[in-house]
Amino acid sequence: MIEESFMKALFHGVVAEELIFPFPSPSESERDDVRQMVDSVKRFCDSSVDSAAIDDAHEIPREVLDGLKELGLFGMVTPQAHGGLGLSTMAYARVMEEVSRHDASLAVTLGGHQSIGLRAILLFGTDEQKARLLPRLATGERVAAFALTEPSAGSDAAAIQTRAELSADGRFYVLNGSKIWITNGGFADVFTVFARTSRPEEGQKPRLTALVVERGPGVTSGPPEEKLGIRGSSTTSVYFDDVRVPVENVLGEPGRGFRVAMEVLNTGRLSLATGAVGACKRLVAMSAARAAERKAFGRSIAEFGLIKDKLAEMACQTWALESAAYLTAGLVDTGRLDYSLESATCKIVGSETLWRVVNDALQIAAGVGYMKEYPYERLLRDARINLIFEGTNEILRCFVALSGMASPGKELAEVVRAMREPIKGFGLLSEFAVRKARTALGRERLTRAHPLLSREAVLFEEYTVELVKAVDKVLRKHGKDIAEMQYTQRRVAEVAIDLYCLAACISRTTRAVELRGEEGARRELDLTTMFASAAGARMKANVRGFDRNDDELRKSIAARVVGDGGYPFDLV
Amino acid sequence: MKILVPLKRVADPDNANKIKIPAGGATIDTTGLEWKPNPFDEYALEAALRLTENGATPKTRGGEVIVVTFGPKECETTLRAALATGADRAIRVDAKDDELDGSIVAKALRAIVDKEKPDAVVMGKQAVDGDSNQIGQMLAQHLGWPQATFAATIEEEDGALLVGREVDGGVITLRVKLPALVTVDLRIVAPTSVYSKQTKRDFKYNDGVRFAALPAIMAAKKKPLAELKLAELVSDTALKVQYSRFEAPPSRKAGIKVKDVAELVTRLKNEAKVI
Repeated sequence: MIEESFMKALFHGVVAEELIFPFPSPSESERDDVRQMVDSVKRFCDSSVDSAAIDDAHEIPREVLDGLKELGLFGMVTPQAHGGLGLSTMAYARVMEEVSRHDASLAVTLGGHQSIGLRAILLFGTDEQKARLLPRLATGERVAAFALTEPSAGSDAAAIQTRAELSADGRFYVLNGSKIWITNGGFADVFTVFARTSRPEEGQKPRLTALVVERGPGVTSGPPEEKLGIRGSSTTSVYFDDVRVPVENVLGEPGRGFRVAMEVLNTGRLSLATGAVGACKRLVAMSAARAAERKAFGRSIAEFGLIKDKLAEMACQTWALESAAYLTAGLVDTGRLDYSLESATCKIVGSETLWRVVNDALQIAAGVGYMKEYPYERLLRDARINLIFEGTNEILRCFVALSGMASPGKELAEVVRAMREPIKGFGLLSEFAVRKARTALGRERLTRAHPLLSREAVLFEEYTVELVKAVDKVLRKHGKDIAEMQYTQRRVAEVAIDLYCLAACISRTTRAVELRGEEGARRELDLTTMFASAAGARMKANVRGFDRNDDELRKSIAARVVGDGGYPFDLV
Repeated sequence: MKILVPLKRVADPDNANKIKIPAGGATIDTTGLEWKPNPFDEYALEAALRLTENGATPKTRGGEVIVVTFGPKECETTLRAALATGADRAIRVDAKDDELDGSIVAKALRAIVDKEKPDAVVMGKQAVDGDSNQIGQMLAQHLGWPQATFAATIEEEDGALLVGREVDGGVITLRVKLPALVTVDLRIVAPTSVYSKQTKRDFKYNDGVRFAALPAIMAAKKKPLAELKLAELVSDTALKVQYSRFEAPPSRKAGIKVKDVAELVTRLKNEAKVI
């Protein structure tokens, strides 16, 4: 069902508005709980966490880690039956937002543990595995880590070299290989490891298997890596040397590890995005205070247009990010299984929004921002990793585009086949025809948007049609070759990402207007209007770019740069 | 020891939505406000928790702490927060804010004390919204109990509390026999302010009030929360305090810069008339 995913449906021109209206909100009782949890996190961080000292020491002090465990922060997503809190995705997101607001190293440590480290056990573990492994992970007595990346396998998970060989008696695997840049690698006790369990064959993708590996004989960690940011978090290599892993520790089916990794990363990406929300909110607050306080030419700099512009941009982008991230969290909580495009979108938007917001905040603080005495430079360094880990933003853009186009592409191929066999293919043809008619005769409407948002809703509808037209055109023209066309993929992804964020803003603002009326929702209305106008300009440029662009020129320049080994000119 | 701690919710001064006063000034408009517990009441709860435990092993409770508040259903948030922090059970007296004044609350609390028979009532010296600072004193009078107000330190003794009150020029120490009523000031949450009989005298608490671990927040939902009707506790519900008019404080005027000390002195003398 394409309607399982709002974004996948968009690629067919279908606006599945029942998925995004009303904008999800936690129940009154859950909201009270979460507020109190957020308050506890805030009080703990204010009283016990010195981020500058953590950054300097390249380590989170023992007492702080123990404090996080005592607070229950290692068991947020583990079900209550296994000793955790069993928080909803939305509640977990909000608490992690608060952690990220205070300290990125803490957030990465907690995220490495439960957004990805133990996530495969939650998603794919058997009852026996859950009962055996989760309780001690929920208390933080043991810490989990996710071990996918290898020296020659980053975004390309199929290149994994780590091998797990089944023993002759079939009772255990013997694991050999090394993983790099593993969050919590220095002290984790439980690793989700991805290893190939098939013989390498020319031209064949390896079969990966996900294994739970407990620290023991043969498992060693490398020294802590020196990093640009998130220095308090532990990042190390992890080596496996003839490690015996019982077959009871296979997660999911043997040979289906790739799927396990992708599912885990879906949740990881979403939680990274909600973390970015927390950091953005802190930076907006810092900038607001700085702008009001700092005087230049006898006035506070908040009165100057170019500072105002930055503050407005920061607020507007944070608003769109928060709306998209929490809409997605709400979708996950309704049990939608397919949110891979939405979470990849949130990761891209989260990391890039935070990068722009931290850059603007540092610029507003100017000289002060550059000095180590103030937190701006640390926040900038901490923010940078988000564009890279859990899938680089480049790979994720290709993923959003290709994954979004896969279903229309398949449909197109099937239609072509059906036309050759008209009788057998009749059902398929008529379904395709209906959908075509639906999108060609009248565009799909966003009927549940509040009338005050009709301009934004029309923009959304128009560019949904543009997206479908563009996808249809490139698929007909290039077919399978689209897999190699990254410029085109990026344009497709950009439009889809803007559409999703715009839909999230419209849905959230509609709820605000319904609750508080036009004047009560003035802030939300203005932010959404501002976002829509910027998104509209971007989408217009991207759609035009499908037909008119300088892609080939750029490619040939890039080829020369590689050939020349750099920049070839010197003026003297 | 069994301790009753009355709590009040107050408008969060840090929230973007401030109290509004509609034209005419007959009422206060509280719509859209965010609420938080009155800080002095949070200090009182912390003091009560310290009095019912050995500070070194706070998870083992050595007594009972009952929290009570007055107000509509939404006030239960404040009670749940207290339960998560360590209180054992809670009571909400159902009432609208405009049905209450200090006198009615003091009388209703007296009825609750008669029923619950705690060894002590520990409460904030005042709520930061109305700043009346009167309920503790009135309640002690109604009960005929000894009272120690503005406590900065409390030590539990056999059958009594030794209470330090910071006053101008020093500390007055009172010994109040139990049952007794204590109202607390902000220094009650300092690391060495409160000692139960079990807590060693060299133990130091963290500064400030404790906060709830996340599992405790979930578990607090299962702790008992009773609801009482105001009319069951007080027969005469006529308000003794009538508010005649509300006004927002005048907004502060911008200051001025003076050239030198001479000008400052002149202006302080002639314009501000303070010297």
